[in-house]
Amino acid sequence: MQTENTDPAIISVWRWQCVIALLVVLFGVTVMLLPRSGSLWASAVIVVALTGLLLTWLWPPIYYRHLRYGVDATGIVIERGVLWRSHIALPRARIQHTDVSQGPLQRRYGVGTLKLYTAGSRYTMIELPGLAHSDAIALRDALLAESSASGV
Amino acid sequence: MASDGDFKPELRLHPLSWLFALTTFIRQFIVPVIAFIIFGARNDAEIWGALIIVPLLIGALWQQWLYRYGFGPRGLVINEGLFFRNVRQIEYPRIENIDVKRGLLHRLLGVAEVSIATSTGGKAEATIRVLSLEATQQLRDHVFTRSQPAESRETVDAEDEVLLNLPPAELIRFGLIDNRGMIVVAALFGFLYQAGAFELSRQAAEAWFGDSRLNHLAALGIAMQAGLALAGVITFILALRLLSVGFALVTLFDFTLTRHGQDLRVRHGLLTRLALTLRIRRIQSVHQTESLLHRLFGRVSLRVDLAGDSGSSDDGKQKSQVRTRWLAPICTPVQASALLAIALPDVDPTTQPDWQPLAAGARMRLFRHSLYFALIVTGAAAAALHLLPEAPFRPDARWIAIFLLGMALIGWWRAHVYVKHTRWALTPDAILFRYGWLTRRLIVTPRNRLQSVKLTASPFDRRHRMANVSIDTAGGGMNSSIYVRFLPRDIAQALAVRLYHSHIDVARRRATAG
Repeated sequence: MQTENTDPAIISVWRWQCVIALLVVLFGVTVMLLPRSGSLWASAVIVVALTGLLLTWLWPPIYYRHLRYGVDATGIVIERGVLWRSHIALPRARIQHTDVSQGPLQRRYGVGTLKLYTAGSRYTMIELPGLAHSDAIALRDALLAESSASGV
Repeated sequence: MASDGDFKPELRLHPLSWLFALTTFIRQFIVPVIAFIIFGARNDAEIWGALIIVPLLIGALWQQWLYRYGFGPRGLVINEGLFFRNVRQIEYPRIENIDVKRGLLHRLLGVAEVSIATSTGGKAEATIRVLSLEATQQLRDHVFTRSQPAESRETVDAEDEVLLNLPPAELIRFGLIDNRGMIVVAALFGFLYQAGAFELSRQAAEAWFGDSRLNHLAALGIAMQAGLALAGVITFILALRLLSVGFALVTLFDFTLTRHGQDLRVRHGLLTRLALTLRIRRIQSVHQTESLLHRLFGRVSLRVDLAGDSGSSDDGKQKSQVRTRWLAPICTPVQASALLAIALPDVDPTTQPDWQPLAAGARMRLFRHSLYFALIVTGAAAAALHLLPEAPFRPDARWIAIFLLGMALIGWWRAHVYVKHTRWALTPDAILFRYGWLTRRLIVTPRNRLQSVKLTASPFDRRHRMANVSIDTAGGGMNSSIYVRFLPRDIAQALAVRLYHSHIDVARRRATAG
């Protein structure tokens, strides 16, 4: 099956999310270390900040390269994961309902997350992040168009 | 979705329903009250606590007064609620299960507790507590005649065909195998504890089992004491098995599996009668279990996963399994294969599965896992024994080597047994998975029940060119659907692709079958 990457704009969204997470962590570390003075502790904060920034810069593009999806007559296949890789294949007849959701950051970059719900018991919700919002809507419509009524 | 609009349900609960709304409450207080009456023991807080029953009784009566259910044109409609009114509508085709539960009190009064479930999962969508038997039958007839497509409706009137009936001898075997004695002990313990019976019995025990008897015991000498302890343990184990047999006899008494049109019906229980419906089209997979004792008796156990019985909700929280859905708690292997064919009509019973092994390197990988584990444990234990000043024994290199060798042997044997007994097979209409050495398990899932297929590979899997395949069905949950680990990567990929395109294989088989 032909698979393709999602919209690269999602990299920016992930980077912003990483920056926010990093700020939260830095705040926590700083508060924890505030009572102690000394250059050693200050450098610890700097090390955390630098590692975080490096990860923020490098990780999203790597993750993006490994996030692929493909649609065929049967359904949809989603591949993800850099170290722990997974391919999940979902026949379109099994899709119960779908969501296309957008957070504030995602709206800023015009991307959305497609959520596919099944009647399954292990993976009831399968997510595909990072589609351009219009693509997400189009994909949803394409998947739902031919899906039959019975999902169990 | 069109609703039933202005449909007003008119049917009411049985007039004695309030009694059953209170039973859980009464159960907590019945023992203190009896203790008060018979023994004159006083526990004022509990006696006064029993007075809470008055507002509860009023609430229960009011609830019963307001409760209405009815058969709308499209679905079952239930109106309930004391302060917050709730109108629930369950469409007939969505209703998958109507379970009827009758405890001792229910049977004395000729009523039943009915739970109605759809495939949404988790607990039942509606529990009607309680209905008279005629109303229960009427409810069943209404729902099941309307929920079936028109062409199969005539089969509803077909006679029940008995597929399995367990005589007491089989139930005794089941009790011996299943060993649920501990459940009885735990339940009894909990009940007595809650009821405060320990307080009463402790005084009696102290009077009877005084210091003088303990002195006799101390004088016996070590061999006799050990013998007594051993006898005690053996008695305990035997008693547990006996309790288990008793438990099986009571709960599964007169276990009968019948076929009624497209439904399987199960009835069992001596005190609490359960009548369950297993709709064949709702069966997701069948599990066969064969423990060492099963093999000794030449029996197997069969249970099924039903759609919606268990499953995680949207927020990812795992709901507990409602109850074990037995197809046959115990039966012979021949009966098992016949039942399997009935429960999974989409699976061709004549196809011989072509059992496939795991990846060639799986044994070595598992062995290496155990080896790392052994090294860590040995290292930690040796370090602890050498560093702690009060350690009774300091192992030298020889001891460590012997211990490691023992662990390695166990690890090798474990890996060997795991790989030898784990097999999978793909037929045109089903996927089969069997595993386990002492307790052998087999899972059969029809391919038309697949919800999704997941192929995963950790960094270690990739280093060994392996991958894992897990499949998801609408029933079973986390621990009970098929998950095959340590497959060769290319085979795993091919398997995942074929499972994903199952509808092609299934359609092809149907076409050749005519």
